[in-house]
Amino acid sequence: MWRYFKWGFRIFALLFVFLFFHYVLPQHDVVRVTNTYNRLTTVGANSIFYSAPDVGTAESATTRDIRFIEAVRPNDKVIVYRNEDTGWVWPPYFKYDSSNLQAEASNLKSTKEAPQWAVMTHYGWRLPFLSIYPNAISIREVDSPDVRLIPWVNIIILTTIALMLLTLRRMWAQFRERSIDPVLDDIDEASDAARDRAQGFWARFMGWLGSWRGKPRR
Amino acid sequence: MGFIRLAVFGFLFLSVVYLLVSIYSRSLRREKLEKRWDNDIKEGDRDAYIETGMKAYEGSLRKKLIVLVFIIPILVFLGTIYMVNFQ
Repeated sequence: MWRYFKWGFRIFALLFVFLFFHYVLPQHDVVRVTNTYNRLTTVGANSIFYSAPDVGTAESATTRDIRFIEAVRPNDKVIVYRNEDTGWVWPPYFKYDSSNLQAEASNLKSTKEAPQWAVMTHYGWRLPFLSIYPNAISIREVDSPDVRLIPWVNIIILTTIALMLLTLRRMWAQFRERSIDPVLDDIDEASDAARDRAQGFWARFMGWLGSWRGKPRR
Repeated sequence: MGFIRLAVFGFLFLSVVYLLVSIYSRSLRREKLEKRWDNDIKEGDRDAYIETGMKAYEGSLRKKLIVLVFIIPILVFLGTIYMVNFQ
């Protein structure tokens, strides 16, 4: 029972970490932009999936004018991006050129007959149920929809995080070896000594009791 | 406003990282000195040997390089701003 609980917890934690990175790290889509516009949007319970209200584009905490980019993937499925500044803290893209990006996207608008393909860098998810949209980060033209995209940024970020975690573990091991273990050893020694003394006292006491019954002291 | 908040908390966070890395690096150097004395030197005053070694460490390039803890994140920050907003 306890084992199932422990494994369940581990799987849940791993899933959470995976989803966290999947949401926050940049991803590339090959798309054809079909429309760009802004729409007054009410942000309510889903507000953690939008920018913080203080980054400049918001008029109030709940209702704001948000830029959107509509696009089509090569497989004819549609995708809608929001285009918001991220502000200075989270997620750390430090994006403040939403207006320019909107203009670039408008410039790349094209029709099905004469498609102009582009690679859209974005983070986030499109979940219609929660009314949330991925945030567009940048866009660049490509000649054909079959470009090979290598996620260098993600490779570098994930490697760096793994190295930092390993370093942190090494630091903790060093701290334990040099600072905690010696103290614990001291405590061990002290308690051993105390036990010896107590045993000595106990043995003497028993010996003294025994002397009442005529047993010779050892 | 957000920028100032980032600067202040970023500086505080990096200071903590700097402190931890300094302690770690110093601890590694002390351990290395202790092991070198125990395995190779084995003569003279052990404490004095270690203290001399630690004094040398305090002026070493290795200790100065820990400042990179501040410099690298700032470079990454500027690089991100350039990549996201100016390309």
